[in-house]
Amino acid sequence: MELTADQRWELIEKISGQTVRFGAYQHTLKDAIGDLTVRPSTGIPLAIAVLYGFWSIFGNFAGTLFTDGFLCKIFDEHWLPWMQSVFPGGLGNWFYAIMVDAGHIQNGLLTASDNSFEAFGVLTSGLFVPFGVVLPAIFIFYLMLAFLEDVGYMPRLAVLIDTLLHKIGLHGYAIVPTILGLGCNVPAVTSTRILETRKQRFIMMALLATFIPCGAQIGIMQDVIPGSIGFVMLYLFIGYFVFGYILSKVIPGRAPEILMDVPPYQKPMLKNTRRKVWMRTSGFLKVAVPFVLLGCLIVNILYLAGTIDWLGNVFAPLFEGWFGVPKETAGPLVAAFLRKDLAVAQLSAIHMTKYQMISSVVLISIYFPCIATFAMILKESWKALLGSLVVLFIAAFGWVGLLHLIWKLMGVA
Amino acid sequence: MNERVDKLYVLYLLVLGLVTLGFGMADFIVTASGSEYTSAALMIPNDGFRGGWGGLVIIFAGIFYLSGLKNGREIHQLGKVVMGSMLIWVMAGSDIFGMIAESIPGGEEGWFKTAKGFLGTYAPPYAPAIFLLPFSLVVIFYVHKYHKELGT
Repeated sequence: MELTADQRWELIEKISGQTVRFGAYQHTLKDAIGDLTVRPSTGIPLAIAVLYGFWSIFGNFAGTLFTDGFLCKIFDEHWLPWMQSVFPGGLGNWFYAIMVDAGHIQNGLLTASDNSFEAFGVLTSGLFVPFGVVLPAIFIFYLMLAFLEDVGYMPRLAVLIDTLLHKIGLHGYAIVPTILGLGCNVPAVTSTRILETRKQRFIMMALLATFIPCGAQIGIMQDVIPGSIGFVMLYLFIGYFVFGYILSKVIPGRAPEILMDVPPYQKPMLKNTRRKVWMRTSGFLKVAVPFVLLGCLIVNILYLAGTIDWLGNVFAPLFEGWFGVPKETAGPLVAAFLRKDLAVAQLSAIHMTKYQMISSVVLISIYFPCIATFAMILKESWKALLGSLVVLFIAAFGWVGLLHLIWKLMGVA
Repeated sequence: MNERVDKLYVLYLLVLGLVTLGFGMADFIVTASGSEYTSAALMIPNDGFRGGWGGLVIIFAGIFYLSGLKNGREIHQLGKVVMGSMLIWVMAGSDIFGMIAESIPGGEEGWFKTAKGFLGTYAPPYAPAIFLLPFSLVVIFYVHKYHKELGT
């Protein structure tokens, strides 16, 4: 049966007459706080406070309580010495170097490592990085994210940041992949599907691969460069907006407005939160652990074969001249293909200044997505992958080169 | 709600707003100057994150309290005051969680802190947000009274 427009309106009126009650609606305190959260003058201060609380709890839970409080002790004082004492071969043996500890030269002597960051064996650093550092960081990150989602804060944050994200060709919902990317870039790439146009999805994927460090990397950064992590994050976020703006101007296509349904604030459901945290954390471990173990194995083999030294020497003019980092950074850069957290951990074993360390961390963040993210972008679109690679190649040269220039102007490089 | 309670509420909010604003500015200025302040009870660390961003959040809390003074019974004005308290709760909650995280691991001495070490972590000096926390809770009482009066 086909209805005319008039008949449809009549039907709508009839249904609404039977189902809708009309009257004055009195705003509740919950409504008022909901409104204030999306108004810039009151919403931005709340957003700053929420982010402050988020990172403060993240640092205290993952860093102070678990990694520094217990897990470093377990791995450095018990697991590493035990592995060093029972694993066959001993210092100098190639298989022992790959699996347990390659050692380091001190006063001309090959000396055993005294912490799991520097040992870099498959069974030492390979287990310490995912379980000792990354797991607590990822767990608390996803727990707080699930809480904010369930309470109803995330859609409000999307509304609040919509105007700003429009400047870089995106819209408010781009905050979802951005924040998910701060946990892990793999689900973040999948979530770019919530953006409407190809242009928006491409910009988002390129920015995720380039300027958004994952939770695992942030967790390691907190241990390796605790005093400079704020600067690194700020520099990457500025890059996110600068390159986003350039991409929005260069890439053809539409960046449409969105109509967003903002749900009322509500109590989080324990079952929901538990399920989300479990799904995300276990998914992360399934991806991360094999890659970290494989990363340690490959990098150790490349070290033993002399490939890393060769790469370092070949690219020394680029590393030292353009990026202002030691040529030994070649090793972590190879590891970064597999896991960026592993690569940052490896940086801690290289002797360099504070400023070189900051540049190295920024370079590792920008220069290539980890292989899991790489595969995920490829799954979404090979054109997006190629485009993202071009963007990150330009970004690595431009943004890290600029940082080196800043250090030079400050007289510290 | 009677007029006396309303007047007291406005006066309380004025004082709380000014003190909060003062604490926030002190936090921000001390951190910006690159120094730290420690007395027997109060501590402002030289930390860009806690003092800088944290100080900014406390300043906003003070502004929210003061901006909620006029026409305080209008629901959005009351909402601003509640949001001011929420900012304090986030800040104080983060500080308290930091103390809890520090109070458990034993560091060099063993797996867990001794009872003395555990309790010592909770001893003063405290950050400004912790001082403001009990005073910010008074807003809950006012909201409760407000709802009771409206019968909601």
